[in-house]
Amino acid sequence: MAIPVTAGPSEPAARLIGAGSRRLTALRRFTQAVRANRKATIGVVLMAIFIFVSLFPGLLAHQSPTAYSSDITAAPSAAHWLGTDNIGADIYAQVIDGTRNVMILAIAVGALTTAVAMVIGVAAAYLGGVWESVLSFVTDVLLVIPIFPLLIIVATYVPNAGNIVLILVLSFTGWSYTARQLRSQAQSLRNRDFLLAARVRGERAFYVIMVEIIPTMTSLLLASFLNNALYAVLAGSGLQFIGIGKSDNVSWGTTLYWANQNAAWTTGRYLWFIVPGLCIALLGVAFAFINYAFDEIGNPALRPLSAAKVRKAAEAHTGRRASDGSRAS
Amino acid sequence: MRFVIRRAGFFVLTLWACLSLNFFLPRLMPGSPADRIIAHLHGAVSQATVRAIELSLGINNDQGIWSQYISYLGHTAVGNLGFSYSQGEPVSQVIAGGLPWTLGLVGITTILAFVLGTAIGAVAAWRRGSRFDGVMPPLFVFTTAIPFFWVGMVLILIFSVYLGWLPAGGNTSQLAVPSFSAGYVGDVLVHAVLPSLTLLITGIGGWVLTMRNNMVTTLTEDYVRMARAKGLSPARVMIDYGARNAILPNLTGFAMSLGFVVSGAVLVEYVFNYQGVGYYLLNAVGYDDYPLMQGLFLIITVAVLAAILLSDVATAILDPRTRTAG
Amino acid sequence: MRRLASRRMAVTTVLAAAGLLAAACGSSGAGGGSKTTTGANTPLIISDVTGQNWTCQFNPLNFAAWPQGGPSETGPIYEPLMFENVLTQKISPWLATGYQWSNGLKTLTFTIRTGVKFSDGVPMTPADVAYTFNLLNQNPALDGWSLWQGVHGPLQSVTAQGNNVVLNFSAPSPTYFYYVAGQVPILPQHIWSKLPLKTMSTYPDKNPIGTGAYVVGRCSPSNVVYSANPRYWQPGLPAVKTVEWPTYLTNTPGNQCLINGQCQWGAQYIPNIQQAYLAKNPAYHNWAPSIVSVALVFNHKLTNTPLANVKVRQAMALAINRSQVGAIGETGNESGAFQDGIALSYRSQGWVDTSMANSYFNDYAYNPAQAVKLLEQAGYTKVVGGVRENSAGQKLSFALTNNGGYSDWVADATVIAQQLSRVGIQITQRNLSDPTTSENNGTYQIGMADQTGGPGPEYEFRQWLYGPNIGSTNYTQWNDAATNALFNQYSVTNDPASQHAIVSKLEQVMLSQVPYIPVLGAVSWDQYSTSQFTGWPTAQDPYAQGQTGIPDWGWDLLHIKPA
Repeated sequence: MAIPVTAGPSEPAARLIGAGSRRLTALRRFTQAVRANRKATIGVVLMAIFIFVSLFPGLLAHQSPTAYSSDITAAPSAAHWLGTDNIGADIYAQVIDGTRNVMILAIAVGALTTAVAMVIGVAAAYLGGVWESVLSFVTDVLLVIPIFPLLIIVATYVPNAGNIVLILVLSFTGWSYTARQLRSQAQSLRNRDFLLAARVRGERAFYVIMVEIIPTMTSLLLASFLNNALYAVLAGSGLQFIGIGKSDNVSWGTTLYWANQNAAWTTGRYLWFIVPGLCIALLGVAFAFINYAFDEIGNPALRPLSAAKVRKAAEAHTGRRASDGSRAS
Repeated sequence: MRFVIRRAGFFVLTLWACLSLNFFLPRLMPGSPADRIIAHLHGAVSQATVRAIELSLGINNDQGIWSQYISYLGHTAVGNLGFSYSQGEPVSQVIAGGLPWTLGLVGITTILAFVLGTAIGAVAAWRRGSRFDGVMPPLFVFTTAIPFFWVGMVLILIFSVYLGWLPAGGNTSQLAVPSFSAGYVGDVLVHAVLPSLTLLITGIGGWVLTMRNNMVTTLTEDYVRMARAKGLSPARVMIDYGARNAILPNLTGFAMSLGFVVSGAVLVEYVFNYQGVGYYLLNAVGYDDYPLMQGLFLIITVAVLAAILLSDVATAILDPRTRTAG
Repeated sequence: MRRLASRRMAVTTVLAAAGLLAAACGSSGAGGGSKTTTGANTPLIISDVTGQNWTCQFNPLNFAAWPQGGPSETGPIYEPLMFENVLTQKISPWLATGYQWSNGLKTLTFTIRTGVKFSDGVPMTPADVAYTFNLLNQNPALDGWSLWQGVHGPLQSVTAQGNNVVLNFSAPSPTYFYYVAGQVPILPQHIWSKLPLKTMSTYPDKNPIGTGAYVVGRCSPSNVVYSANPRYWQPGLPAVKTVEWPTYLTNTPGNQCLINGQCQWGAQYIPNIQQAYLAKNPAYHNWAPSIVSVALVFNHKLTNTPLANVKVRQAMALAINRSQVGAIGETGNESGAFQDGIALSYRSQGWVDTSMANSYFNDYAYNPAQAVKLLEQAGYTKVVGGVRENSAGQKLSFALTNNGGYSDWVADATVIAQQLSRVGIQITQRNLSDPTTSENNGTYQIGMADQTGGPGPEYEFRQWLYGPNIGSTNYTQWNDAATNALFNQYSVTNDPASQHAIVSKLEQVMLSQVPYIPVLGAVSWDQYSTSQFTGWPTAQDPYAQGQTGIPDWGWDLLHIKPA
């Protein structure tokens, strides 16, 4: 009987798990994992491009994204690569300059949401008792309430939401999913030896949480950061698209808002909305691919198989199928 | 049974939290809806007229805030959700007008996404290493990361503006008279194709990926190896042993992702001018119509909670372990 | 697995087939193409975006139910006593054949037309007119014009005397004529007297009985169909037998209907109207009269602010290039207004005191160099980071509160802000979904707003600047004794010469003190197509406003006919 296929670690990853891993530095491990995994490569490259654009917009766009001109809703031309919007401002400049605001939003919300979730989730797991019940209840309530309608309700009450308000609103509504994940992991760690040892030593709860528990959850925290950054990009752009948020904020969601208000697809100005939306999609994809890749690196079972393994598996399968061919399938 | 009761209790508490949020948030903001009506009248309107209009809208500033809170909870319990002044009719009527459209769109699309996505995910997991599995997960990771509203606009561009096959928006064509005739039903379907396609494209990815990942993990379990060793057909192993166990976490995920789908539906309805609950919610925002916003938010939460409760019951039935866990 | 794959394909095929099948049997609405029919029974389809679905309630006195625009029962269904054309101030008989002021403009007598029937066949008499007015007194929620004394208006009594109805005011009230004669719908006593008084303002009135040319044929949340009233008192009218008014919650589908030709009468802002609409068909027309202005509003309740210095306000008026704001912010739909405050439609009627206006910086024609001079005279000489400040460190930096829901106003404000920054004034935009609250409370620095106006420029001035209007329409919080005196003088005279003289003085207030800056002419949006209907009001024949508002659209429908 042939041994059925099970997923095994691919070649470079074997080095991670095998004896030599401790000698490699974290950075080298990271680089190798990224290069080995195609999704991670794409994600990191895209991310690098966006980070570069957000840091140095002046290198790529020379016109003002907001200055009006008499050349309103113009079609793409040599002077305006993506055309102009309804007050004659250059759309290409809006896309380039807007990258920074979107990246700030993504990173800030990703970090803040994860931080809030960390505090609540881990505290719930560690403190136990009444605290755990109360915090879990709040987490679960926020988990079931649909996020986008809640965002709309909250954001409407704060008129003229600038970047700061948007960051706060997104962070304080989106932490529940992460908190729940962190709580379950913290719960499973609660009774591990090194924590019992810390308690016996007499360390305070705060110390134990900050110094002992959280560092062990790094991979989950990183995944949460990426997930929340993705949420920030999509939800934040969504809010800006429907008009909540300052309309003179230079960002992709706002550009899409104006494209929609001026019925861009009926006047033939397709690039006005295709390009900003594509940027949102690509940034989201970057976060998602990196996250998914980390998932695969962490859980070997999920990794894609190398070609050699595939061939071996196919041979094994074919052999078995011949003997089963008589049964109905 | 105890499990179901506990969950139901949790949902009641959640609803109460929503209601309280609804009540207190707008009280923190200045101004009142009556101001807006005064603006419409554009004349010297006396206090007596203002008061009369406020009373007709159910605004009564004579009561203290706690008695207003109690009567608000009481009113909501019997279905009196107040008066929407931007739509000119009771909130419950606006909801009744929009809810069937949203339920239809979201419900059918979610079921389709669930069925198709789970199937694709199972197949991808089963065919590990094949080209199918090489292409599907990255493709669906891509679709989960693109914004709903942009997909909608692109579809409008392709199918409505460029090809002219499908309408660019609305639940029905403008002058259609509601009836059960084939013409009207066909009209409704035609207008629903693009919105549901948008939701499907962006929503299906989550199902595919979770099912695939769960199933891959499940397939490494011992009992699956045992089933294969016993010589059962591959299909049988995949469905009865693999999929059936892999789908359980998916059902829980279903509950949580429902909030995600509803959020997406709000944006999709906005882009397509599809007059469901989400569309009215966004419209109400433009008018600061707090009673309508609150009522819609409440009904959306109730619908999601009901769906979660149903899926919990389904999980309890399918997975005996949750029943004993209580 | 082969089985699953085929199931997936089957599902997809079914979906696609259903889509194509439905597309084949589905009715109109997919894509473009105008659906034109001709003939006497062609319905006239309106595209006026009201932002809400119909509640199918046609109570003309339910002010709480009025959305921004319609449905406007007064005009086609219920009729008022006379028609006053706000554009020309011409007064035409409607349900009344004539009127007479007496007793020092304190008594107004209308002669009521005979031979008029309500749509249920019951004759309309002066008793119905008197009943309608007295009803407003009995329930103040119905008195949306604040006519009666009980709500601090001047009306004391209304009685029917033979063929006439006599209104008695406590003071001379010629400015109330427009509301009393042109806005109040005449109701059938035999129906309304049976309704409970307290709930009358929310009475649904699903099948309205009025004297007008139309009755409600069919109503659903998405469309109202008006049919010709067979018992209408003008024989042969209306010429258009069916009028439909579908609902649109946002502008895009409404504009699309006009561009397709499915709708023939529009009333909203179409971006880039020349390419998007007018160029598509030579029968498409656009008429945009404006009786009021969109203005930049100062809050005169604030004292410790640079805006309290008139030179700063004057400088701002000079630094704004109004025609450019219209060309860019409104994509050419609106033209620049003038600081003398006389709206564009009134400028050829002799209201503008041209020589006086020119003595004030040439009626504040665009002149940024002069603006800078004024700012420096006011002490704002130092420029720090592009923003001017004076020696005390007070900066010319202000917040502009605007209606975020009007995307064209937001664009206007963006252009204005950039123009002002060139002279060193910094503007940050605060876009609220409804700024009327802050404007009514006077809790803003600079706002953007407009008024409804009336038959003549004084109505707009009064709404902006009359002290007692603070809290309702007087957003500027302007409360100046001299200005109030001017309005009080105007309200007691009917003599054109006196009226012109008073308006001249009001212009002087505008030019010397700049209480607000009229930036653009606020238009009554009116798009119409002559391919199926003619008889529209136009710039050459402005017999009424073309917008579907009260009561003008009823008057329009008495003139429009199939082509």
